[in-house]
Amino acid sequence: MAHRRCLLSLARHATAIISQKKMPPLSAVEVLTQKSNPAITIPNSELSWFSLWSHSRHFSSSKSEDSETEVEVEMEEASDVEAENDNAASDLGRDYSPEEKEAEAAAIGYKVLGPLQRSDRVFKDYEPVFAVVQIGSHQFKVSNGDSIFTERLKFCEVNDNLILNKVLLLGSPTQTIIGRPILPDAAVHAVVEEHALDAKVIIFKKKRRKNYRRTKGHRQELTKLRITDIQGIEKQEIKTDRKPLEAAVKNPEKIAAAV
Amino acid sequence: MALRGVWQLKKLIVSYCDWGGGSRGIRAFIESELPTFKEKNPQLEVVTELIRGQHPHLKGFYKNKNERVVCVKNMTPEDILLYATRLRNALGRKVVKLKTRHVTKHPSVQVMMATLLKHSLFGGSNSSL
Repeated sequence: MAHRRCLLSLARHATAIISQKKMPPLSAVEVLTQKSNPAITIPNSELSWFSLWSHSRHFSSSKSEDSETEVEVEMEEASDVEAENDNAASDLGRDYSPEEKEAEAAAIGYKVLGPLQRSDRVFKDYEPVFAVVQIGSHQFKVSNGDSIFTERLKFCEVNDNLILNKVLLLGSPTQTIIGRPILPDAAVHAVVEEHALDAKVIIFKKKRRKNYRRTKGHRQELTKLRITDIQGIEKQEIKTDRKPLEAAVKNPEKIAAAV
Repeated sequence: MALRGVWQLKKLIVSYCDWGGGSRGIRAFIESELPTFKEKNPQLEVVTELIRGQHPHLKGFYKNKNERVVCVKNMTPEDILLYATRLRNALGRKVVKLKTRHVTKHPSVQVMMATLLKHSLFGGSNSSL
């Protein structure tokens, strides 16, 4: 019964697609059951044809095992065709052996791992400069010496130097540099202070008069970053030389360059 | 757990029982993974303690004189390593729900806000440029 329905749907697909190369449904099924990789041998138009086939997924000519393997074949094709991010996501459980993948994932989170701190004088006094930085999906207005709680950043240990790439705005008492949307030359340096769990939040669900009650505890994993340095903007040197004229002159130039 | 580059966990006490079944994991942990943990954290003083007849636990002593105790009864060595790393990664602060995700002493850079001025008149926070 199901076979008949599948063949009917196949036939419908066959009639609907006129521009594609017409293959009779049975032979198409046979080709797929042989587990040949159509991506290699067949040109692009037929690839799309096969992808349409794969969406219907009713190749039930014989065993269910074949359909499962066909599904697996589709999955492989899909993963090859689409971005490698899916593969990375599936591998996110363990073992980032290639450091390139770490760099990719770091790019997603807009941070770059620098080396661990060894007697670097990183913790300076407060400078009147701020930056708007984005980490993941959250944006923070950040200055020297601030601390920030973000979602757990995967590839850094405690006492690591990070560089936050995605800087949207830089500001000082005299200057503002606005990015569209990012400033390419700006960098914000931060140090990882801790990886900790947030306080427990109890998720309680209840439906009244229906004898339904669920309790779930959740602790979010956080990373605390301390911002040490903001680069990409002229900082006023308070005690030593003051160069207000040059800063004023560079004002319009810098905004034009950043834009 | 490093405040301005200074590690906050001073001492870790690994207590276990040599008879009880709940200490099986921690006994395996002490043999297999504790040496590497010690090497990775030379700044940390790790002590193993035998407490007979009691459940095993990890005690962490922080620089702000906070103690954190984690019971590791019936856990696998990998889980115990995870908890030990968590203790090492954390500051000694009390685990409270966060008020803000951004902690700063200088909220404003550019604008000399009128409100900040008022506060400074009352001798409150720093008004910063």
